[in-house]
Amino acid sequence: MTVFLTGLQYLGYILIFPGFLFCFFCGLLLTGIDRKLVARMQKRVGPPLLQPFYDFFKLCGKETIVPAAASRTTFLVAPLVGFAALVVVQLFIPICGFSAFTGMADIIVILYLLLIPALAAILGASASGSPYAGVGLSREMVTVIACELPLVLVLLAVAKAVGSALGTGLCFSVSEIARYQVENGSLITRPSMIPAALAFALIIPGETGSHPFDTAEAETEICEGMHAEYSGAPLAIFKLTHAVKLLTVTSLFVALFLGGIGTGIAAVDGVIVFALCVIVTALFVSFVHAVTARLKIEQVFKYYWTVVSGLALVSLVLAWYGL
Amino acid sequence: MNLTNMMDYHHYPIYAVMVLFLGAFLVAAGGARHSKNPDNPAGARAWIALCATGLSLLFLVLLVKPVMLGGETIAYWMGMRGIAGGYAIGIALEVDALSLFFALLIATAVFVSAIYSIRYMVHDECVPQYYVLYCLLAGGVLGLVLSGDVFNMFVMVEILTFAAVALTAFRTKVYGALEAAFKYLVVGCMGSTAILTGVILLYAQYHTLNLAQLASLIPGSMNDATKLAFAFLYIGFSTKAFIVPFHPLAADAHGAAPASISVLISGVLTKSGIYAIIRLTWFLFQTMELGSMQFMLVFVGSASMFVCVTMALAQHDFKRLLAYHSISQIGYVLTAVGLSSALGVSAGLYHAMNHTLFKGLLFLAAGAVLHETGTTDLGRLGGLSKKMPHTTVLFLIGAFSISGIPPFNGFASKWMIYQATYQRAVETNNIGFLLATVIALVTSTLTLASFVKVTQSVFFGQLPAEYENVKEVPFGMRLAMGILAALCVLTGLFPNTVTSVLTEPAARAVASVGEYISAMGFKSALPTPELSFAHVGVWAPIKWLLLLCIALLALTIASLAGKYDRVSAPQEEKTDTKYQLFYGGERSVYSQVGGGDLFWGFKHNWRHYFDFMHNLHSGVVNDYALWAVIALALAIVYMMIAL
Amino acid sequence: MIQFNYIAAFFLICLGFYTIVTKYNLVKTVIGMSVMDYGVNLLIISVGYTPGGTAPVFTAGELTRASYFVDPVPQALTLTSIVIGACVTAMSMSLVVRLHESYGTLDTREIRRLRG
Repeated sequence: MTVFLTGLQYLGYILIFPGFLFCFFCGLLLTGIDRKLVARMQKRVGPPLLQPFYDFFKLCGKETIVPAAASRTTFLVAPLVGFAALVVVQLFIPICGFSAFTGMADIIVILYLLLIPALAAILGASASGSPYAGVGLSREMVTVIACELPLVLVLLAVAKAVGSALGTGLCFSVSEIARYQVENGSLITRPSMIPAALAFALIIPGETGSHPFDTAEAETEICEGMHAEYSGAPLAIFKLTHAVKLLTVTSLFVALFLGGIGTGIAAVDGVIVFALCVIVTALFVSFVHAVTARLKIEQVFKYYWTVVSGLALVSLVLAWYGL
Repeated sequence: MNLTNMMDYHHYPIYAVMVLFLGAFLVAAGGARHSKNPDNPAGARAWIALCATGLSLLFLVLLVKPVMLGGETIAYWMGMRGIAGGYAIGIALEVDALSLFFALLIATAVFVSAIYSIRYMVHDECVPQYYVLYCLLAGGVLGLVLSGDVFNMFVMVEILTFAAVALTAFRTKVYGALEAAFKYLVVGCMGSTAILTGVILLYAQYHTLNLAQLASLIPGSMNDATKLAFAFLYIGFSTKAFIVPFHPLAADAHGAAPASISVLISGVLTKSGIYAIIRLTWFLFQTMELGSMQFMLVFVGSASMFVCVTMALAQHDFKRLLAYHSISQIGYVLTAVGLSSALGVSAGLYHAMNHTLFKGLLFLAAGAVLHETGTTDLGRLGGLSKKMPHTTVLFLIGAFSISGIPPFNGFASKWMIYQATYQRAVETNNIGFLLATVIALVTSTLTLASFVKVTQSVFFGQLPAEYENVKEVPFGMRLAMGILAALCVLTGLFPNTVTSVLTEPAARAVASVGEYISAMGFKSALPTPELSFAHVGVWAPIKWLLLLCIALLALTIASLAGKYDRVSAPQEEKTDTKYQLFYGGERSVYSQVGGGDLFWGFKHNWRHYFDFMHNLHSGVVNDYALWAVIALALAIVYMMIAL
Repeated sequence: MIQFNYIAAFFLICLGFYTIVTKYNLVKTVIGMSVMDYGVNLLIISVGYTPGGTAPVFTAGELTRASYFVDPVPQALTLTSIVIGACVTAMSMSLVVRLHESYGTLDTREIRRLRG
């Protein structure tokens, strides 16, 4: 009986909170908020808050066309794998002190699991055979490389900072990091972590493909690049993945740097974390989106490997010397 | 000798080596005429080679129980001539867990590649000679890792270099094959000369060639001559492992050889070099306690990692690209081993094993493409996934593994390497190890990038008109790839089993030099250290996969319920314009994005670096020889100062 | 006077390296490899040399404590090394012939299809 109940509990984690249903609602809602905020900052009225939901359901009702040149199986399976992997990543990210699955992954694993949705999108695009998708996937891959170096530096800095505070030298476990913050306050209050937090915040728009780093989609020049040949339900899932990725990356930011703000009750913490995600999104995604124009791909790369990596490096050096 | 005595497992190491040389002899005795069967021009000779490699693998697998699990070190004197007057006068084989670990890798790769060869080599001339050289190469490498005698190591190095050079030039019509073989021979010969010089310098000092005895004598009595010998031996074995600055040879040789041989050169020859370097630094000279030696190996390893991955990004030939990646992965192994921690050695060996598996798989996939289309030029291929679906899936498994995508095996070992390097950095408070961690992490992403390039340029994208009639490769070739792919997945999903059965015993053998010496009958006061393989990270691939499967299942059910696969028309009606690709209103022409055009945004920022590297790898054999001489000079100076 | 042997051996090895690095003719490269090999052979023989020692040929009855001959092991090693050296020369010359057939030149600076 207990086994059955535990199974049911975990199934609940996967399907409802913090799994599919939570991802679906919060991800799309976050995107809606982002779109509304950008519109208001640009003095437009903007779409209704629930517009992403409408888009999703409308797309689901449309016909799915597989181009004659495409490799059908890869083309159709890629969006599903990408989204499922992203939901699994979301399961590992602790919400304040609460995490659904502890002891299964650390921050290095999460770093690589976050690659899977991007890789799935790239393979799907590649399988479509479209030249626009070819250009798009090349840019997506370069963006991934661009974000990788600063992200690695940030994560190493966090691992070192928490590790030396705990006395173990190193700490890779996300749930350990979350617990540390519950006991000792958010990491962002430590001087060495401020540049790292800033660097991570600047990585968010790159990871999620938001302005000014949306070269991989670039509607105006390469017709949404990777999604050029997608239609109907697969496209809906890609849009959903995109939305959930925004949620995942911002909640990872919250978990790493703004952790420990909460009450200890999972549901309330969920709301608090979501509110924090909204704030982070507003500051680093919507605002940046509203005030910048799209960069060229080589500028994206240069920016991440110089400015953002530099910030992360400062943080790593500070953490190394125990500040 | 009666039969039960002959089947004592202490004889198995020598059987494993001899069966391959015997196979080579039997194949050669069978003559050079092609048989009438067009599907197997070598006839029974191919089966002899296959049986020889299979038997050799069997003998080694039977040794797993006593050596890996039982912790025994097999000391075997040829012809029962052992020690006289305190000196080893016989020729010895010594098999500890480290030797057996590498021998197993080698035997597996050789066996799988032999399966593949039968159907792969059908279009070639002189196929029987191919099997002779094949068995010689396999026997040479296996002899090298099982030998307990430093001069025999040199002889085996020569045998394997010879066979490898001849096999590199085997397809004389292939663009650049002769040239690659000649360059490999020149620099390889300089390496062999360096090894021989080192061996002789050691003999002059200690009057013995036995590894165990040398290991018991050298550490207490280092002088300038032994340091010189160390430098010569290190450089000599570096040429066999193709680590920086000998990586251009690997690129040439792997690229030009038949794919089944590329598997051996990349998965097996490089491993033998790494094995010899481990023997040298941990056993013979026992210098891994020194910070300077750790620095040297980690530096060379990180340089190999980074330089070769960037060189690979600039390639537009499938096999040449894979060749540079081999050395990049060998860089991981060397870095991890150079950390001089138990976890590092275990992680490095794990990665060495994974590299043999996934790189073998990738080379075989490249061979399959070559077999069917006749080219490996990334600029001319495209869209093969529809014609060769199985090869595509197998290639993708290999590509995910090498790029370190969870839950494949490359991730498990790379993840351990990241842990080990960073743990070492924090323990020793050394910025150098920290840098190695960052390089390792970034290299992994660059590896992914170059495999995205291969996937896009070869298997996806648009199919050129000339490859409309391409077929899937024969079953024999797919079987060989399937075995490797299955091993890639299994070793990724059960990292704890792999480490406890294979890599941790081997790492323990690396640390317990004293046992290695005393097993041979020499005195050693070296204690067996207590090792800890603990690491701070957590990664549970099975649980993760379970979660992913549940999530994927739920998602699939939901999307099928929503008629996700309601892909309208059947196949023949696809003349409708809505099934054609979108070209923004332009005339729909063949436009494959791939090859060198991909990742322009990355290369543009690094254009000075790429130009510099392109000019540096000039392809002139004199330049590569010069690099070898400079490396030797630097190694001598470094050893004199650092040891 | 055994020092001269060592000096000559390392001189020959270095001469071999020098030839391989600086000469652009394939045949000269092969000569360089041979010279290098001779250097090593000389080194091996010199290592086993004992002043006044006789050839290590004996029958069981003659072997006493007073038997005095040069170290036999390096001689065996030299034989192996000479055989290997001959193989290297044969193999590389055959490659040179084939290279000349397909490239029409012996200049290493023009035999560089594989680069970068």
